[in-house]
Amino acid sequence: VTGPSTVWALLVAVVAIAAGCASSGTPPGSTRSGTWLDRNGNGVLERGPGQPLLDRTDLAPRARPVRTLATFAQLTDAHVVDAQSPARVPFLDRFGPPFQSTFRPQEALTGQVLAATVRSLNQMPLDAVVETGDLVDNDQANEYSEALAVLRGGVVRPDSGARGYEGVQAESSGDPLYYRPGVDAPRHPGLLRQAERPFRSPGLRAPWFPVVGNHEVLVQGIVGPTTRTDAIATGSSRVVGLAPGVSLPAQSQLSDSYVDRLLARGLPGPALRTTPDPRRRELAATAAVRRLIAASGHGRMTGGLLDYSFDIGPSVRGIVLDANRRTFGSTGIIRARQLDWLRTQLSAAGNRWVFVFTHQPLVGCQGGQQALALLDRDPRVVAAIAGHTHRNSIVPRRSPAGGYWLVTSASLIDYPQQARAFQLVQTAGGGIALETWMVDHGSGNGLARTSLALSFLDWQGGRPAGFAGSPRDRNVRLFLRR
Amino acid sequence: VLRAAFADVRARRGRALLAAVGVAAAAVMAGTAITVSYGLGTGFDRAARRADLPDVIARFDPQPVAEVDRRVRALPNVRAWSYRDEGLGFVIRAGGHATSKGAVEVVLGRPRGYAIVGGRDLTACGCDAIVERGLARNWRLSPGSQLWLEGFGMLRVRGVAVAPDNVAYPLSSVARVWITEAALRRAYGQPFREANVLQIWTRDRAQVAPMLVQAREASYGLYNLRILTRSGVRILIDRAAGLVVGLLVAFSVVALAAATTMLAASAHADVHRRLATIGVQRALGFRPREVAARHALAAALVAAPAAAIGIALGALVAYGPSARLLEAINELAPGVALAWPLGCAFLAIVAVVTAASAVPAWRAASKPPAAILRGGDIAPSGSRPELTAGGGGLAALGVRLIAARRARTLAVVAVLGTSVAVVLLMLGLASVVDRLAHDPLVLGKRYQLQLPMPAGGTAAVRHVPGVARAAPRYTVEAADSFDLGETMKLVAYPGDHQPFESAPLAAGRRVAGPVEAEVGAGLADALGLAPGATLAALLPNGRELRFRVVGVVRALDNDGRVAFVRSGRLLRADPAIAPLLVVRLTPGADVGAVRRQLTGATGTRPTRPGAATPRTGGFLSILAALLRVVAVVNGLICLYVVVQVLSLTARERRPAVALLRALGAGRGEIATVFAGAALAVAIPGALVGAVLEREVLAPAVSRLAGDYVSVPLATAPADIAVVAIGVAVLAAVAATWSSRRSAREPIVAGLREE
Repeated sequence: VTGPSTVWALLVAVVAIAAGCASSGTPPGSTRSGTWLDRNGNGVLERGPGQPLLDRTDLAPRARPVRTLATFAQLTDAHVVDAQSPARVPFLDRFGPPFQSTFRPQEALTGQVLAATVRSLNQMPLDAVVETGDLVDNDQANEYSEALAVLRGGVVRPDSGARGYEGVQAESSGDPLYYRPGVDAPRHPGLLRQAERPFRSPGLRAPWFPVVGNHEVLVQGIVGPTTRTDAIATGSSRVVGLAPGVSLPAQSQLSDSYVDRLLARGLPGPALRTTPDPRRRELAATAAVRRLIAASGHGRMTGGLLDYSFDIGPSVRGIVLDANRRTFGSTGIIRARQLDWLRTQLSAAGNRWVFVFTHQPLVGCQGGQQALALLDRDPRVVAAIAGHTHRNSIVPRRSPAGGYWLVTSASLIDYPQQARAFQLVQTAGGGIALETWMVDHGSGNGLARTSLALSFLDWQGGRPAGFAGSPRDRNVRLFLRR
Repeated sequence: VLRAAFADVRARRGRALLAAVGVAAAAVMAGTAITVSYGLGTGFDRAARRADLPDVIARFDPQPVAEVDRRVRALPNVRAWSYRDEGLGFVIRAGGHATSKGAVEVVLGRPRGYAIVGGRDLTACGCDAIVERGLARNWRLSPGSQLWLEGFGMLRVRGVAVAPDNVAYPLSSVARVWITEAALRRAYGQPFREANVLQIWTRDRAQVAPMLVQAREASYGLYNLRILTRSGVRILIDRAAGLVVGLLVAFSVVALAAATTMLAASAHADVHRRLATIGVQRALGFRPREVAARHALAAALVAAPAAAIGIALGALVAYGPSARLLEAINELAPGVALAWPLGCAFLAIVAVVTAASAVPAWRAASKPPAAILRGGDIAPSGSRPELTAGGGGLAALGVRLIAARRARTLAVVAVLGTSVAVVLLMLGLASVVDRLAHDPLVLGKRYQLQLPMPAGGTAAVRHVPGVARAAPRYTVEAADSFDLGETMKLVAYPGDHQPFESAPLAAGRRVAGPVEAEVGAGLADALGLAPGATLAALLPNGRELRFRVVGVVRALDNDGRVAFVRSGRLLRADPAIAPLLVVRLTPGADVGAVRRQLTGATGTRPTRPGAATPRTGGFLSILAALLRVVAVVNGLICLYVVVQVLSLTARERRPAVALLRALGAGRGEIATVFAGAALAVAIPGALVGAVLEREVLAPAVSRLAGDYVSVPLATAPADIAVVAIGVAVLAAVAATWSSRRSAREPIVAGLREE
């Protein structure tokens, strides 16, 4: 006869085993069990061995993990893009930095990559998923619809304008500076047709928490939406190049007024006809943020900014800062009132461990040093986590309170197209460690894998830029002295 | 058995010697064919491997190395890269020779992309140079020689190199010299800052295409960019000489097949001759297996030394010329690597001869001895077919004599047919090679004359006798619309361009409307065009025209950077474009006469369109002569085959011939009989050969020959007539020879067999 106490004991045992597994287990997608590598250096990715956690003792000595406090994941910079939008400026890509992200060979597949990442994350026992910004690329309503449908689950419809693909990657495109999957190597005939077909996403199982990125509130992540930019987005003319008289301004000269003056003269270059679509309308920042809050069920507008905090289990507090400008510029800004708000939130966190989430890394934000100074004084801060750079990076921040980690993660649009998992564990002796590892997206319907392969080839993409980072920036166990 | 086989050979020394000559002749052919085909077929790969030829060579207007470096580093699948600063039009003097078409290549970094075949590589002293092998041979330069280079002064030749990315001097008019950055600094006091050639080596050659797509995307700002892959280099070489190389390789394959057939037929015939001996052996108690083994061994004893000598002789004869041919196209001779295919050929020849002797001997010996001695045969009927009475004269009797052996007749006709086909092919090739140097028809143009006059003059031109078609041909140098520096030649006709342009279609279809274009493979490669893509061309007046690409053609003109379109839209965009009136003549029309009449009718003197390979004229003439020599050798093979079959027939029909002579037939009548027999195989053989060449060999060889040209190899009726007459002459020679041999035999000896 099995009594209630026996059942209870068994349950406790199962939970304990599960907790142990969570600490060292390797769910599907985890790069700890296997990942994509270019073994021969020939540009072709193959499955390779897993990358175990490396111990980083920059801030504290090694100690044995004994208990999991929280498990969560970060997905960032999905850049779900309407690749057919006339508001896009892919012809600038050829001019190189800072325009290198205006065209990517895999850009028609961003929705599928996000869905494949969702599948991978759903395989893991997560307390939360934090989406650290740039979920969409161009602040368009239809991009939000697609991206949020992927996260919510259900049928996703990537197509816009006329049925089928209308854009620079079509076989009929005469411009050889764009990868055209129908004719260029590696050839993928029919890829664009497949990319525009509706597909089904399982939706994120774990609760997800949005962080605003510059591409979510600014057109192309740089310019605040205006009636002129909106007219181009919803219009029927797709600019294919710069007019002979128009020259590229120096980065210092670029401003919202410059763009407005340029567009006031009409289209800045020769254009082709495209099918107009009102769903491509650009969203005002407030409307965009409200969409994120509504879709996720989390977050709160504070003075027009998406600054809020949330719990990840009983021991962890997440603080989200909206570091985006609303009129022009992709660089971050932490306003004075946000510093006050941050101070309050840190204080309110009490004994809980604190993670701070922003889109732009605090280090590079205007006012970011003041924010970091606040974090430096708080011994409960574990890490400041950001996206925006598209690069895996983990840097220790030493402080009188013991220090914490500055983490940025790869994007889902550029190679290596990975999400990041975090597990906060208590170590023997009362300290803590933050285990983190990269998560490959599942192959899904095959399009996501094609996207990864193309992103690896991209000469202006994550491979040559070293976005994957070093092994010390990927799968690591970060010890903290407490 | 071995001793008996030796005894057999010794007993029939004369016959064995004749068989050995036959085997040796075939082996010479095989040796020649293998030496040529292996040497030329593998020459490019060998040279490319030895020279570590880059997988991609990019040429562009001079650019700072650092700027190019930034882009190359970002490309996938790159193992190594190096730069060159290539300058053309330098004066070079050495050893009493001089040229003003020197190409000076300042090398920066390794790998170099050339193979040192004499001396050593460049040092850092800035005082030495590497010269290409063609230049070294032609000017008798060797390591240590002095060379004067315009702008650089006297340099010491440090080494001799082969770089198979171009044909050699003087086949290419450009003489190449490599120097180091140190020489540049010494001469001009400037370091190497800008490059105009980039060489890339990949980790995986199979993944070159994706890398190239990225390279194209990364190429913005590099003007006049021309990217050439290793396979592209091969095509370039093919354009200069590869067409001929391809044809020679194809010939070798065909010649090998003919030699094998001939050997088998010869050995088979020998067993026929020895049926009486086989019968006696069987009567003496030899088992069929022993008889077959003796024949096989005897055949092998004859074949082995003959094959060895023949193959060695063939290889020796062909090695020198093929090595020189390889040198001319900057490739390397195979050296000892040739031993393997030659060894295999030796074994194959001995095996074929041995099997061809053993199998019919075994079949013949399997019959009862009495049947064999009665005149048995290896044919299932076991008896010699009777001659039927029939009409006709002595020649008809000869036909019936030879036709009585149907299977053999068919085999001989097949051998003759193959040989005739090869002869026709060689003649066809020779005329193609001749025309390559002079005739634009071979090089993608179907018109013979052109006049610089307005389109309105077309009607007047069409009325001139001898003119089949005339049309205005508009050409304009356009650029790509994306500021990539890619140039192209737009060729436009008011209607269908095919009557005037013969660039073969590689993909898609022909132009059928005003917005459509066929693009050359070179342009398709440069701009990544394929059927369905858009060609955007910027005209010199600044107007842009967009065409839908419907086909890709293998055009030679302008490195294949050409697009064929309809002229309507082009003229609306730029009415100032002036045409050339191009004229296609009726077949057989006298070009000179038509030219005179056109001059008279229009007041404008027509000119002939230029051929694409004027520099290679001498080279091609030598090759044409070589091909004709090969055709003559094949003719001799035909003679050998006919003599063999007549000799066999004479042997079998001794009683009939003796009876004719007993009835008073003289040497002339006997010769008529044999002439009839010879023609009975020669005429069908010639017909089979003509059909075989036209329907099978010519199309196959055309495909082998090259991607960029349409090679019309189908032989002209006149050539067929010449070959038919040649075959008839050979038949007459064979008949005369056979009748003289028969006439030397006593009549009684023949009658005794009846």
